[in-house]
Amino acid sequence: MSEDKEILYMKGDRNVEVTHRDVTLGDIMSFECSHRRILTGVKAIPIVHMPENGPKRCVISVLKIISCIHEMYPELEIQNLGETDLIVTYENQQTPGKVVHLIKTAAVSMITFTGAAFSIMTFNNDVSVTKLFSQIYEVIMGHPGDGFTVLEVSYSVGITIGILVFFNHFGKKRFSADPTPLEVQMRLYENDIQATLVENASRKGEELDVGQTDSVDIDRP
Amino acid sequence: MWGRQILLILIGLSGGVSVAAGLFSFIVELGVVSDFADRTHTADRIMLYEDSTALGGVLGNLFYLFQISLPFGKVLIPVFGILSGIFTGCWAMALAENLNVFPVFIRRLKILRYTAAFVIAMAAGRGIGGLIFFSQRW
Repeated sequence: MSEDKEILYMKGDRNVEVTHRDVTLGDIMSFECSHRRILTGVKAIPIVHMPENGPKRCVISVLKIISCIHEMYPELEIQNLGETDLIVTYENQQTPGKVVHLIKTAAVSMITFTGAAFSIMTFNNDVSVTKLFSQIYEVIMGHPGDGFTVLEVSYSVGITIGILVFFNHFGKKRFSADPTPLEVQMRLYENDIQATLVENASRKGEELDVGQTDSVDIDRP
Repeated sequence: MWGRQILLILIGLSGGVSVAAGLFSFIVELGVVSDFADRTHTADRIMLYEDSTALGGVLGNLFYLFQISLPFGKVLIPVFGILSGIFTGCWAMALAENLNVFPVFIRRLKILRYTAAFVIAMAAGRGIGGLIFFSQRW
């Protein structure tokens, strides 16, 4: 074969979802090679088979992938530009019904709504906002207020402005192109989960890797 | 007279803005809402969850300050109780999680198994503690 001087570039995301059980390299990574035939050949290499009743998720080391490619193209030079450990999740197409999804969404909205209302009230109660406001009012105006003054109204307006500025949107209307804080938080959470999956797999020795002689890990509990 | 009114407005506005920013970043950064979205696999609706958090904050504050009375109290009160209880429970645990309470204890005491028992014990403890707190009218 004439693959001597060829370089294969590959890039994979840390988290891949597949929809069929026989996973090939083309399913989980993207490749680039100036030699078309190598490219299609590499993409068709089977890497893992998801068992019918087994775990639906596995972690594959990029070394395993390189060794699979080298079995077929021993002379090929491989450059990995992406992640070094890939989480492959088999997701069969049965997504729960729309009703279930709606119920869950409604439940979460109600909990967050009530929770936010509850926390602002506990906060106000905690720092005695009502008392403080009547004190401020008396200091400034010289006579006690009746609890429904311009101070309370402007505080409420301020709360509204603060929340909207913080969340950066209301409904579908965004105030700027930045992602909202929850979107950022969601990504951070996903990253943590993915890092945990990879670390767990490699600690337990479940990662698909070359040479299963597992290096000694001092941190192992 | 007008100057004093404007001063009050300034105090109220800036107080409200800073309280909102502080309290809501506390809620969001602890990951309570993103936890909910993840558990229920409804991460595509987080914009809605932000809306409901925002609305809850705004209306809850109005409710507190102006003592607005709502109809259907008999139905609303238990609903409010259970929903805010769920939220506060998740919040407390998210706080413990962010402060690395579990990893520190598990590492120090070299607990390798039955960590689930701690979680159950903690949940039960919080529930019973809450009951005692309220039943004693503390």
